[in-house]
Amino acid sequence: MHILLRGREIANIKQLKVYEAHDGFAGLRKALAVKPSEVIDIVKASGLRGRGGAGFPTGVKWSFIPQNEPIKYVTVNADESETGTFKDREIMEENPYQLIEGSLICAYAIQAKSIYIYLRGEFWDIGDQLDACIEALREKGYVGKNILGSGYDCEVYTHLGAGAYICGEESALLNSLEGYLGQPRVRPPFPAQKGGGLYKEATVVNNVETLANVPYILTAGAEAFKAIGTEQSSGTKIYCVSGHVKKPGNYELSMGTTFRELLYDHAGGPLFDDRPFKAMLPSGGSGPIVPLTDEVLDTPMSYEDAERIGTIIGSASIIIMDETVDMTWVASKVTKFFKHESCGKCTPCREGTYWLDKVIDRILDGRGSPDDVKRIADVAENMAGTTLCALGDFAANPIIHTIRHFPDDFAQHVQT
Amino acid sequence: MAIIGNPKYKERIQSHLAKYETKRSAVMPLLFIAQEEYGWVNPEGIDEVAHILNMDPTQVKSIAGFYTMYSEKPKGKYWLQVCTDLPCALKGADEFHAWLKDELGVEEGGTSADGMFTVDHVMCLAACDKAPMLQCNFRYVEELDQEKMRELLAKWRGEAVQAANGRN
Amino acid sequence: MSDTVTINIDGAEFEVAAGSNLVDAAKWRAGNDIPVFCYHPKMDPVGMCRMCLVELGTPARDRATGEIMLNEDGSPQIRYFPKLQTACTTTVSDGMYIKTNTQEVIDARNDVLEFLLSSHPLDCPICDKGGECPLQNLTMQHGPQASRMYFEDKQLLEKHYPLGDLIFLDQERCIQCARCVRFQDEIVGDDVLAFHERGRRLQIITNSDPGFDTYFSGNTTDICPVGALTTADFRFGARPWELTDVPSISPWDAAGENITLSMRLDRDFGGRAQIKRVMPRQNELVNEIWISDKTRFGHHFTRGDERLRSPMIRTGDTLREASWDSVVAEIAGVLRDADGDVAAIAGSGMSNEDLWELRRLMEGLGSSRLGAWPPTHGGAEAVAEVGLGAGANLGELGKGDAILIIACDLEEEVPIWHLRLKQAQDRGAYLVVANARNTRLEDLAVQGARNDKVVEGDAIRFDAGDAVAVMRDLKQTQPAIAERIAQAENLVIVAGAEGLTLAGSKTLAQAAGNFLIETGHAVKRNSGLLSPLPGANGMGLHYLGYSPEASVDIMVKPPKALFVAQAELLDDVADARSWLAEVETVIYANHFDDGIAELADFVLPIQSFAERDGSYVNGERRAQRFYLAQGPIGQALPAWKVYGSIRQEMGMSHLKPSAAAVMLEISKNVEAFEGLTYKALAQVTRQFPDVGGRDQYYGGTAYTNTGGIGVQIPAAAEGKKTVKPAELEEVDVVTAGDGEILVMPITRLYNRQRNFRPSLLMEPRILAPYVLINPDDAQLLGIIQGDMVEIVAGESTVRAQATLSDEMSAGAVALPRHMTDAAVPLWLTAGTVRRVAVAVASAD
Ligand SMILES: Cc1cc2nc3c(=O)[nH]c(=O)nc-3n(C[C@H](O)[C@H](O)[C@H](O)COP(=O)(O)O)c2cc1C
Ligand code: SF4
Ligand code: FES
Repeated sequence: MHILLRGREIANIKQLKVYEAHDGFAGLRKALAVKPSEVIDIVKASGLRGRGGAGFPTGVKWSFIPQNEPIKYVTVNADESETGTFKDREIMEENPYQLIEGSLICAYAIQAKSIYIYLRGEFWDIGDQLDACIEALREKGYVGKNILGSGYDCEVYTHLGAGAYICGEESALLNSLEGYLGQPRVRPPFPAQKGGGLYKEATVVNNVETLANVPYILTAGAEAFKAIGTEQSSGTKIYCVSGHVKKPGNYELSMGTTFRELLYDHAGGPLFDDRPFKAMLPSGGSGPIVPLTDEVLDTPMSYEDAERIGTIIGSASIIIMDETVDMTWVASKVTKFFKHESCGKCTPCREGTYWLDKVIDRILDGRGSPDDVKRIADVAENMAGTTLCALGDFAANPIIHTIRHFPDDFAQHVQT
Repeated sequence: MAIIGNPKYKERIQSHLAKYETKRSAVMPLLFIAQEEYGWVNPEGIDEVAHILNMDPTQVKSIAGFYTMYSEKPKGKYWLQVCTDLPCALKGADEFHAWLKDELGVEEGGTSADGMFTVDHVMCLAACDKAPMLQCNFRYVEELDQEKMRELLAKWRGEAVQAANGRN
Repeated sequence: MSDTVTINIDGAEFEVAAGSNLVDAAKWRAGNDIPVFCYHPKMDPVGMCRMCLVELGTPARDRATGEIMLNEDGSPQIRYFPKLQTACTTTVSDGMYIKTNTQEVIDARNDVLEFLLSSHPLDCPICDKGGECPLQNLTMQHGPQASRMYFEDKQLLEKHYPLGDLIFLDQERCIQCARCVRFQDEIVGDDVLAFHERGRRLQIITNSDPGFDTYFSGNTTDICPVGALTTADFRFGARPWELTDVPSISPWDAAGENITLSMRLDRDFGGRAQIKRVMPRQNELVNEIWISDKTRFGHHFTRGDERLRSPMIRTGDTLREASWDSVVAEIAGVLRDADGDVAAIAGSGMSNEDLWELRRLMEGLGSSRLGAWPPTHGGAEAVAEVGLGAGANLGELGKGDAILIIACDLEEEVPIWHLRLKQAQDRGAYLVVANARNTRLEDLAVQGARNDKVVEGDAIRFDAGDAVAVMRDLKQTQPAIAERIAQAENLVIVAGAEGLTLAGSKTLAQAAGNFLIETGHAVKRNSGLLSPLPGANGMGLHYLGYSPEASVDIMVKPPKALFVAQAELLDDVADARSWLAEVETVIYANHFDDGIAELADFVLPIQSFAERDGSYVNGERRAQRFYLAQGPIGQALPAWKVYGSIRQEMGMSHLKPSAAAVMLEISKNVEAFEGLTYKALAQVTRQFPDVGGRDQYYGGTAYTNTGGIGVQIPAAAEGKKTVKPAELEEVDVVTAGDGEILVMPITRLYNRQRNFRPSLLMEPRILAPYVLINPDDAQLLGIIQGDMVEIVAGESTVRAQATLSDEMSAGAVALPRHMTDAAVPLWLTAGTVRRVAVAVASAD
């Protein structure tokens, strides 16, 4: 079932006429017909959780926005920079109006003044396309003053990042949008609070995929959405599969589908038939790695089940590695990513990522000692839980979990 | 030519300034314009952006230095950035990257002798299912192999020659 | 809401101020020093370094009822955060629990230090900060025994990267705490420092032109928690542990910044104690923990080669060295012959003790002609009457308050007032800047700094000479502004002398005082009048009976014998030579010879503020002590001793044994000084924030105040039942005749005054002589940008380069004082400007 990747079923849904012909903007019309707070209630009831990584209940987030503040904003997180994630890109390329509609519904629900779509810089042609969409929508009264005669005004703008993973972190994103260094802010105040959001005003930050779900929730109803997926994870999710599978790509499936179904039925199984799966990073570089055992393969892909097997769904960027892959090398790759992307603002992350990278390089070079393996484990432990934002935890994860699950992969490099 | 007073950018600068609550918010789009004009974010560009936005040039340079898509050094005509992040690497991106540098005779971050190509690597570009891939002047080129890449290099060289002739 | 909340720190309860920062509260109330690097009590927390992690818990509340949930024993249930929290970003709340001594916290501190040290070069033995370094201190207390990082992998970076002419950055030592960046942004409002790159390559840069070039740059070296920032003045100058600290007062301006002189016995100085550096000394009422760069770097005159070293007597055409005894005896003789026709001109760098002894001498001779120098600013009377209220603290001004700054360029005249009032605006005060030209404070007032902070402010621009009328008629001409400042909770007016005559500036101050009186701001703690009187002791001169009007009178009617005391008459007035020629005996006492020695009959070397004890009264009427620090220069004496010796020689009185004894006498004889003994001036009370002391990581290397926070002299109005507005005198308006233009002298902080010149480091920071001309005027005068012009006004003839600016009001040119040896007029004067040389093609 495709709620989000509808472009795969409906040709040219990226054209406004086609989109309109397929229930386009019915959700927005429904929303505008009721009180903003009722829209929030509907989204709450749907059980929709944030698709940007943390899985925070979307309706609840919206309800944090103070009602009587005169100026509020919606910021769409289209920074999509997590290693292995490429889902928001497909939504925006193939079904852009649905994202904009979802954002407008959110904006109406919190009575925001305007919407900023923060795109990673490399998505500049997507930005151009979105700009064209916004212009088309303005002409037809969906954007701008007095939207669809409702009396509600809202502007939509795009903003391009310029190459910084940290700008996907919501407070860094806001700093970046304000023209400051894309470094995370101290919280509280949180973005939803006065003082913590864009230009210090209360702001909702939501992921592209999260918001693209919203028109469906309005048209089909909260119940229909909740009926999809599991108890605590409703709706569908786009799983981005990459690495050693035959058919890498995006797959939109109900939440609760098993990893096995995704990897074998949809992604075609191991890339090489004679090389079985070894391990999986289910949430890009940032989530804990797990060995692809039968138990893991039979686990349903939901927030709660992922936790049970010691990992997370996160943004569901599923990177698959077969038995030829050395996990020390994986740890090194992922660490290089975080070292490159650490913004440098806080000590443990800035120094820790650098330190980890140096020592893993030693180990990979054959210059390391068993002490070095312990050393990186310690460093990772010291980083975890002490940094200003979650990037430090993300950077600690791959080390802690590769060593935990694949000690032999490290041991082979430090045998004397 | 400069970006200030350049008719080519007037409208774009205006529209960026109109988008945000503060002038400062427009620093990123304006730096892209400076980079487009000068080929890199050079000191003139920084000063102009600072002037337009009433920012201190130090602040503008700080922004330019933080993000990887702004280049504070001149680059070749084609800036090739191979994604070597984990998903791509699982599909041979590291080898592809090494081969490409060899092919062009450049070190990491270096520019080919003819000034045509600068090669370096980048982190995940959200195209993991199409590995190996690179971006050439921020335009994605996906599902690459050596043969396809040789053809592309030849094509870009040809385009550059044409452009040069056209100018004369 | 109550003013205090109760928090539990490591098991003990403390009452702390509601809304305070946890690090501050723990330190202030519990004496618990939570270690910090990035946090600084004067700046917003940023939570970057992670050194201050603590266990933090708050009372658990029942979701349904909101009631605090209790344990069985009736104590509240405390819910701890699962992760450690940064204390520096935490605001205290009632019932909060923190633990700072658990193993988890101890480990976290250890880990953060280990991380920091993994990048840090361990070059402490050669580091300027060694011995007073927060990183070093905290490593001793909380750090790892040995780093587990490989040292050969440390990065090699630039170690002498100049951020400007005065401050150098050692990139290897920087720990990326951003204190320096935030200081420039939040405190100074000039964001010329920033980070470049990211991650571990993050480095401090400046890309501004000129670079890191503000009047406050040196303060970053104090608050930098490592030796990454050093001053060009002190770099490699001495090791901190060799230094002895002596409390002192800045000799430069009306702020009276509290400073510490770091002294060392120096071989190059004949083994005597020498100033190695000047550091801020905390006085929250005066300068907090900041000082200007002039104060920090301008100390070299105290031992310059040009200093006068021995007393000299004229015989015929030559001056010859003589003993103090014979000099004193000869002066006494001359004075006896003068028949009471004597006068004194005293400079504003003289201490109260000096001024008192000189005045007593004059009184003994039957003269009351006491001139205050330079006679550029009236207004001291009004400050004495309706100056800032008792206990005033500019640092408390904020939302609901208003500030009016008229006829001065505060950043150039009293930089610390500029800094503190600009911050008051950042906190929400309404700032109005009124002048005949643009100043930086005007820019800040209307636009704020460039950091997107929304500020409340206005500018009033008028023609040179119009300040009095603007102030007097503010309610009519600027009703909206007048109304707003009249309604403000507190109102501070700073009234200067730019574009005025002496009578004009006096009347301006009175008009400002009247406004304060009429709007009910006259005797209020954080309201009142300030005047940027030149020098450190402008108010002391006033209280001890010296007036600028008397100086003018002396210039017009020269006496038979004249004391020229620490006043550079030749540098300050063009025709001094001619009227001094009428004086029979000139008795000149100073640090330097400004050329007057040719005319003087006696030349007396006196000690600078660094070599003796003394006291000054600052513009907020705070009397403050400075202490003997530096070894003596030649035979120079403190001025009070010179005048006291003459009195003794003439049989008027015995020479007092000490400056303290002189002050005791003043306190008994001058009403304003009642109770101001040295003991009273030396008193200190605990100040918030608690900087200094051992934990230099908290506030930086600003010194604890051990020398006294001084005593404020009450404003005269405070004793009165009703305060009446002063009767304003009609002031003559200066007008320019045909072919003339008004010449408006202005003050620059960095200039070529005698006592600033020996600080060679500052030489490149002093501008070439220039004159500001409105472009319309320039066109009429046939002058273009960069032309060399000659300005003739009164007796003054000055050459300077034309700088065209439409930020200068038409009809007048602004001419900075002391940019060359040529004296500019003392006040607004009509004159002519003509081109003498065509613009030299400038570099740009
Ligand atoms: C280092 C870091 C990087 C992140 N990158 C992204 C990202 O690229 N896209 C995204 O949507 N959320 C990202 N997030 C999560 C956001 O901070 C935020 O939780 C999310 O945008 C909220 O939207 P949601 O509730 O719709 O998921 C990132 C978080 C961290 C800590
Ligand atoms: S130079 Fe000093 S104050 Fe500035 S960031 Fe580095 S350590 Fe902090
Ligand atoms: S994080 Fe609290 S002092 Fe640096």
